[in-house]
Amino acid sequence: MKISYNWLKQYINTEISADEAADKLTLLGLEVEEVEEIGSDFEGFVIGEVLDVRSHPNADKLVLCDVNTGDETLQIICGAKNVAAGQKVPVATVGSTLPAPMDDGSYLTIKKAKLRGEKSNGMICSEVELGLGDDHTGIMVMDSSLKPGMPLKEALNAEKDTVFEIGLTPNRPDAACHIGVARDLSSVVEESLKTPYKSVPEPKKSLDDEISISIIDSDKCHRYVGLIVDNVEVKESPEWLKQRLISIGLRPINNVVDVTNYVLHEIGQPLHAFDYELVGGKKIVVQSFDEDKKFTTLDSIERTVPAGSLFICDGNGPVAIAGVMGGENSEVTEKTTKILIESAWFEPSSIRKTSKSLALQTDSSYRFERGIDPTMQLKAAWRAAELIAELSGGTIFEGYVDEHPIKHEPQAVPLRVARVNHLLGTNLDEQRVVSILGKLEFEVESDSNGILQCTVPPFRPDITREVDLIEEVGRVFDYNNIPRPDTAPFITPDPLSDAEVFHERMRSLAKSLGYKEISTNSLLSKKEAGLLADEKLHVHTLNPVSQENTTLRTHLAGGFMKAVHYNLNRNATNLRFFEIGHVFRKSDDSTWIEGVQEHVCLMLGLCGSKKRTDWRGEAEPYTIFDLKSDLEAVLDDLGISDRITRETAGNHMLKYQLEGNEIATLRIAHEEWLKGFDLEQDAFVAEVDLTLLDKLGAEKRDITYQPVAKFPTFEFDAAFTVEQTVRTGDLTREIKHTAGEILKDVSVFDVYEGENLGKNKKSIAFRLTFLDSNKTLNIKDVEPVVQKVVQKLEKTFGAKLRS
Amino acid sequence: MIDKIEAIKQEIEQFNIDSEETLEEFRLRFLSRKGKIQAMFGMMGDVPNEQKAAVGKAMNEVKNLAQSTFDQAKEELASAQKKTFGALDDISLPVEPAYTGSFHPLTQALNQIKEIFLRLGFNIADGPELEDDFHNFTALNFPKDHPARDMQDTFFVRKSDDENTDDLVLRTHTSPVQIRLMKEQAPPVRSIMPGRVYRNEAVTAKSYFQFNQVEGLYVDEKVTLGELIETLVMFSKLMYGSDVKYRVRPSFFPFTEPSMEMDIWWENEKGGQWLEILGAGMVDPNVFEAVGIDPEKYTGYAFGMGVDRIAMLRYGIDDIRLLYDNDIRFLQQFES
Repeated sequence: MKISYNWLKQYINTEISADEAADKLTLLGLEVEEVEEIGSDFEGFVIGEVLDVRSHPNADKLVLCDVNTGDETLQIICGAKNVAAGQKVPVATVGSTLPAPMDDGSYLTIKKAKLRGEKSNGMICSEVELGLGDDHTGIMVMDSSLKPGMPLKEALNAEKDTVFEIGLTPNRPDAACHIGVARDLSSVVEESLKTPYKSVPEPKKSLDDEISISIIDSDKCHRYVGLIVDNVEVKESPEWLKQRLISIGLRPINNVVDVTNYVLHEIGQPLHAFDYELVGGKKIVVQSFDEDKKFTTLDSIERTVPAGSLFICDGNGPVAIAGVMGGENSEVTEKTTKILIESAWFEPSSIRKTSKSLALQTDSSYRFERGIDPTMQLKAAWRAAELIAELSGGTIFEGYVDEHPIKHEPQAVPLRVARVNHLLGTNLDEQRVVSILGKLEFEVESDSNGILQCTVPPFRPDITREVDLIEEVGRVFDYNNIPRPDTAPFITPDPLSDAEVFHERMRSLAKSLGYKEISTNSLLSKKEAGLLADEKLHVHTLNPVSQENTTLRTHLAGGFMKAVHYNLNRNATNLRFFEIGHVFRKSDDSTWIEGVQEHVCLMLGLCGSKKRTDWRGEAEPYTIFDLKSDLEAVLDDLGISDRITRETAGNHMLKYQLEGNEIATLRIAHEEWLKGFDLEQDAFVAEVDLTLLDKLGAEKRDITYQPVAKFPTFEFDAAFTVEQTVRTGDLTREIKHTAGEILKDVSVFDVYEGENLGKNKKSIAFRLTFLDSNKTLNIKDVEPVVQKVVQKLEKTFGAKLRS
Repeated sequence: MIDKIEAIKQEIEQFNIDSEETLEEFRLRFLSRKGKIQAMFGMMGDVPNEQKAAVGKAMNEVKNLAQSTFDQAKEELASAQKKTFGALDDISLPVEPAYTGSFHPLTQALNQIKEIFLRLGFNIADGPELEDDFHNFTALNFPKDHPARDMQDTFFVRKSDDENTDDLVLRTHTSPVQIRLMKEQAPPVRSIMPGRVYRNEAVTAKSYFQFNQVEGLYVDEKVTLGELIETLVMFSKLMYGSDVKYRVRPSFFPFTEPSMEMDIWWENEKGGQWLEILGAGMVDPNVFEAVGIDPEKYTGYAFGMGVDRIAMLRYGIDDIRLLYDNDIRFLQQFES
């Protein structure tokens, strides 16, 4: 919202600079986000009369002018073709600075000069040079009645102004106008507020013959005031009014519309002016309809207004969408001679609904939906009528209609001074509190219990509770002045949550495994989400920001694949990423919200080569086993490695299960993923469900020192020939199971396939490591165990011992 | 005798030591107790007295020769690797730096924030990113059909006209975690709540549809606004240096009353400007009522800040999209 400082100063007498005022407003809670200087004082610019124009002896395109600037006659060289004797022109005298910047952004200061041997003592200016317009074809020629020597500022009625862009918070409808802002400022500059809004005299006549006004939906319209101004000449507004509106970014239209806008920005009461002759049946009905209505607003756009929206209607139907915008059918034009001024109070949420559904926010709707002063309607209409009468030569009908079915009841809110100090940490006395509230126009009375009964001014609908009053006291006192304790007490902290400790431990582990953390979008496209999981699991947003981001991720793998795609396109070769984030799946196993499982997962992903081709040798592409080894390290770190079951699911995936729960997956990106995410390289991705692990208590590993083995291990190598279809993981599991406690470790040191083994056969060579904590093992101890294993593998998998 | 000595000398000179084995052979043959040198000195008795001086000198020379030959050969063998110095042994050959793990700048900024608040006695809490209307709005004193809801463009996951079915939204702030925490735990409560939040905003250099916040909450019997400001000042000093210039100013949030924002002075080429770094306030009594805490007995403060913004400020990142592009050339700059 724009506020002109010159305009503001109409209501408050203050000498402080615009910058100081901006700071004060900001510290009052009306944050000035931008301060812009506009216009110019035209210091050193005067009206000159061109007395004589002669050709320049040494230049064809220049002329010498004698210009009377009141006290003296100056020779000024001019290059404009339109200069002529007898003209009144704007003259920049020596020492003045042009208000408009030159092409390079700097500002030209006029000096005495000599051009091709002739003196020039000033400059005759064009509109462009004065920053007044776009016309650069020649010098600006002014009204011939102007006196030479008159300051240009006066002739143009120009002034320098400062405009504040205020980021208005939704709780401050009162400050959505100049008087409202001035009121806040007055509370800290010790100056009283002057307003032109006064009580309106009782109507002398009835308006019944002119207009009838009725409110059908009184819950949506508490008050409707109508005033009529006749004999209006609709024309351009005077300079002062246009300037005010232009300064806050409004386009002047005509004197009637401009006055309604002026009053809106002065006191915050939206007004509407109808062409009286276009109001059918001499009547206004405020009502809503049960069905959608098509209606053309005065911006010539036909809109479908939803059922339930409030309309202003005449005898024929809607003439305005209440509180939002008037209709084209009753718009004030140059032909208008008699106007009806509407000044109403509409219910905020009704206006808000209409405005939202039309996606149409206007200066009016903005104010209505926040809540305007319910006592201002008649005063504001009267102020507008007076101004219109003054500017258009019109006459105000000596009467008005004030339909007022629901009247505003002033509210008194109790305030305890002790509570003020309790909440703010201040030590304010009653007098100070009363004084602050008084400046904000609260009427404060101390009741018999010492409680302050504060009557809320009608323009502050936001204030309904004691705490709201405390805020008022605090902000005027200035939060920066609130004494701060030397120490801030705090309570005995609880230990950090298991989840927090766990997640951070995993983050550090992933980093120490050499992974770079990424942060990917939680929202994927439907297609991407479809690659990751069945659509039945998807959670969608109803109003996506784009089709690229519609669906919550069910896995972190998608984000990884996208990050890989992005980086491969930029010639990256070694991608080793991790992410910890939330994933979302429709599920009966709800986490927080009914029907949705929201878990935190850890993703580890690899793509490309761990080493580029260099003098040491060829590039070494990542394999799934690089990732597997890191994933195993994670499980090992958790101390659950031995309790995990590893199940293959097809050729691309290994599932890790703990007590029947899938706590991790290891995947090779299959063809469909590579195609879907547009990758031409292998990618590998593992995901660990941290929430599930946390739930299973898997991460709570109390570390207690275990003595290291005193006796050496005994290693035994055994190679088995099996069918190609037999999984090494299954063999390993069986070996462990069969051998029992004495077997500490099983590793595979060779995998071989070849003709000599027979068709579809392979050989897996295991190294079995045995350990007994009580003695040194020898072959005699181990042999029976190995025998058992060999028999079991043969029986279960048809495995033949090779060596 | 001299001939014998000369013969040993020649034998030493001709002995080829080219390995550990031959070195040992040399030692055994000449230098050991049963070796030729020792035997040679044993023959001294046979030498006539008048020749003893000359023979002794010659014998010593041979002994020294044997010892020095042995020492030299031993050293040469030890440094045999130096001898095979080849093209690939050039230590100046370049290599790629090892690939190291790193934290995302958002994590790094968050860690710093967490560390400060842990020092100030806050715990850490979390909650879901998919929230219901009650936790995200209603309990936080956002009335339905109130312009305050416009402050946050919301992604809806479920919208319902049925009053018994709550709308579902992607949380627009981490404040719903406050509600969950206060419902779960009786005061005192002192916690921060970091997490990802969502706003339905177009992706530009300045805005993104997801970002990260840290919210803080302290509820106890005598918490004041002065204490809140003091806590925020402590945070700013720890985060931005003890000479940080700051101010607080009134603002509006539905869930706090009074509400404020804190700015810090940020130097730049043009001199400097106030930059908003966080919003805060005293917990609104309506919020306490929504979670069943007596607002007469307890007061509390809450604050919230954007981690993305803090990270951008800290690292001079001028485009928020960089945080979510995951360009490795970007991520590499935050190794620490």
